[in-house]
Amino acid sequence: MRTWEWSWPSQPGADGEDHLRPALFSGGGRWPGLHPHHVPAAAFDSLIVSLLGISLTVLFTLLLVFIIVPAVFGVSFGIRKLYMKTLLKIFAWATLRMERGAKEKNHQLYKPYTNGIIAKDPTSLEEEIKEIRRSGSSKALDNTPEFELSDIFYFCRKGMETIMDDEVTKRFSAEELESWNLLSRTNYNFQYISLRLTVLWGLGVLIRYCLLLPLRIALAFTGISLLVVGTTMVGYLPNGRFKEFLSKHVHLMCYRICVRALTAIITYHDRKNRPRNGGICVANHTSPIDVIILASDGYYAMVGQVHGGLMGVIQRAMVKACPHVWFERSEVKDRHLVARRLTEHVQDKSKLPILIFPEGTCINNTSVMMFKKGSFEIGATVYPVAIKYDPQFGDAFWNSSKYGMVTYLLRMMTSWAIVCSVWYLPPMTRQAEEDAVQFANRVKSAIARQGGLVDLLWDGGLKREKVKDTFKEEQQKLYSKMIVGNHEDRSRS
Amino acid sequence: MGAAHSASEEVRELEGKTGFSSDQIEQLHRRFKQLSGDQPTIRKENFNNVPDLELNPIRSKIVRAFFDNRNLRKGSSGLADEINFEDFLTIMSYFRPIDTTMDEEQVQLCRKEKLRFLFHMYDSDSGGRITLEEYRNVVEELLSGNPHIEKESARSIADGAMMEAASVCVGQMEPDQVYEGITFDDFLKIWQGIDIETKMHVRFLNMETIALCH
Repeated sequence: MRTWEWSWPSQPGADGEDHLRPALFSGGGRWPGLHPHHVPAAAFDSLIVSLLGISLTVLFTLLLVFIIVPAVFGVSFGIRKLYMKTLLKIFAWATLRMERGAKEKNHQLYKPYTNGIIAKDPTSLEEEIKEIRRSGSSKALDNTPEFELSDIFYFCRKGMETIMDDEVTKRFSAEELESWNLLSRTNYNFQYISLRLTVLWGLGVLIRYCLLLPLRIALAFTGISLLVVGTTMVGYLPNGRFKEFLSKHVHLMCYRICVRALTAIITYHDRKNRPRNGGICVANHTSPIDVIILASDGYYAMVGQVHGGLMGVIQRAMVKACPHVWFERSEVKDRHLVARRLTEHVQDKSKLPILIFPEGTCINNTSVMMFKKGSFEIGATVYPVAIKYDPQFGDAFWNSSKYGMVTYLLRMMTSWAIVCSVWYLPPMTRQAEEDAVQFANRVKSAIARQGGLVDLLWDGGLKREKVKDTFKEEQQKLYSKMIVGNHEDRSRS
Repeated sequence: MGAAHSASEEVRELEGKTGFSSDQIEQLHRRFKQLSGDQPTIRKENFNNVPDLELNPIRSKIVRAFFDNRNLRKGSSGLADEINFEDFLTIMSYFRPIDTTMDEEQVQLCRKEKLRFLFHMYDSDSGGRITLEEYRNVVEELLSGNPHIEKESARSIADGAMMEAASVCVGQMEPDQVYEGITFDDFLKIWQGIDIETKMHVRFLNMETIALCH
C-alpha cells in the first residue's frame, strides 16, 4: 500500500509512475529539480492557484470584516439598506422597459388582481332569499318564507363562486407580484422582454448564483457551527448569571450571522413591547426564517418537535446552554402534556419567553389563519408580533407541499434579499369573560390589522385536511331554521 | 414563440364558443390548473380541494353539474368521468352575466340556458321531469346536516312546495289526478316574469391594465 508522500513530483516512482502531485495545494514553481517538460504546465497551474488563493482570501476578509464582526457586536454598516435601494431602482427600470415593450406591440399587460377575480356578493343568506321571493309570483301574498325552487339559486351561485375563486386555496400559493423582480420564478411567461432586459436578467442570475450564493452558504455554515460549538461550550459552565449572559450573546450572535446569511433586511417597530420573561410570544408564520428573524432581536425559548439530522444536533446543543422546550414526536399528540410543560415553563419567571406560531403551518403572508387555542389556554401574558415580508425581493413563503426544506433554503439563498417588517404589539392577557378561542381571535385580529394582512376565519390546517363538520353545519342550520321555523308557524295558524 | 401563437388561437376559439373575454379565460385557466393540480383534466375528486365548497349543502349537486352530459352538451343523460378546460368553461358560461348589449331574443335565450342548468340540477335521473322524489331529494340535501330537522319534516316541506308548484303549472287538479312531475316548460312557466338573471351570474372584476409580470 503506497503511503502518501509529499515527495518532489519530478522523480518518477520506482514503479515508473508519477506520484500524485501536491502542486495543487501549495504554491507551485518553487521546487528544485523540476523536470523540464513540466515547466509551462506548472507555471499555468501556479497562476491559477495564486488567483484562486487571492480571491478566496479577499472573499474571506470581506466576510469577516463587513459581515461577521458587526454581527458579533450587533452593529450594522448599512450596507444591506444601500443594496436594497439599488435593487429597487433596477426593478423600477425593468418594469418600465416591459411596459414600453408591451406598448410597442400594442398589447396590454395585466396586473393580476390579488384580491380575487370575481366580485363576491356581500348579502347574507337571509337577505338574498327574501329578495328572490319578494320578486316572486303573486301567490306569495303572505310574507312567511317557505321553501321554494328559487332557494337553490343562492347556494348554486355561492358554490360557483367558490369554485371560481376561493379564499382559502389562494392563501396557500405564493402571493402574486405586481412588479417583476428579475427572478424567473415569478410565475408568468416572458413575452415582453427585450434584449436589454434579458441581459440584465442573465447578469442577475450570475450575481445571485456565483457571487451571493457561495457567500451566503459560507456565512450560514459559520453561523450554525458557531451556534453549536458556542452553546455546547457554554453548557459546560456552572449555572449562574455569567452563563446566562454568555448564552444570550452566543445565541444572538449566531442568529445575526444567519440573518446576514440570508441578506435579510429587517425593520423592527415598537421595540419597547418586546416579550419579557414568563410571557408567550405569538407571531404569524410564513416560513422557517421567521424564527431566525425574531430570535436575532430577542432571546427566546424555542418550542418544537425534536428532529433528526442537522436540526437535531442544533437542538441538542442549544438546550445545553438554556432551557428550550423540545418535545418528542410521541409527546406532541398529547395536548395535556404539552400544555403542562409550557405552563411550568412560563410560571418560572427566570425562564425565557416562549416563541410559538399558533397557525401551525406556513401561510403565504397575505392573511392570518385561525390560531390554535392551545397556547392561549395557558394563562400567561401574550406578546403578539406581526411579521410582514415584502415580496418584491424574494418570496419567503414556504409551500411545504411544493418544496422540501433544502430546495426552499436554496431558493431563499438565491433570491436578492429578504425584506420584512416586524411589529411588536402591546401585550395582551385573557379577560375574565372570554374563553381561549375568543382570546386567540382577538390576538389574531390585532396581528392581522397591524401587518396589513387579511383576517380569515379559516383553519390553516385545511391545507392538508378537510373541513371540520361543525363549520358545515352552521350554514345549513341557518337555512333550515328559516324554513322550518316558518313552516311550523304556518301549520300552527 | 410558437407556443404563444397557438395558445392565443385557442383562446380566440374559446372566446367565440363560450363568450368569455381573453383575460377572463386566462384567469379561469389558472384556476383550472390550480384545481386540477396541473393536469389537463379535472375529476370529481379535484373539487375536494375547495374548502369553501364544503359549506355548501348542495355541494354534490353542484359538482355533479360539472360532469353532467346535458350541461356539457355531449348527450342527453349520464355523467362524464373527467372534463377538460373547454368543458370547464362551458359550465362556467352558464353563470356569465347577461350582456347589456344583447338584444331581447338573445337575452331570452340566455335566460333559458340558465334555467335549463338549474332544471338539470333538480332532474337527476335525466327523465325530463322533476318528480316528487327528486324534489324531496333536493330539499333534504338543502336541509341535511342539521341534526334537529327530521326526515319527516323535510318531506312535508317538499310535498307542500310541490303542491304549490303543481297548482301553478296545471291549475286546479282533480282529486284523483296524479301530477307526473315538473317538465321544463312548466319550470319555465314558474319563472316567467321573475328576474333571475341577477341571481344566476358571477361578476368578474375589471382587470386593470398596468404593466407587468408576464
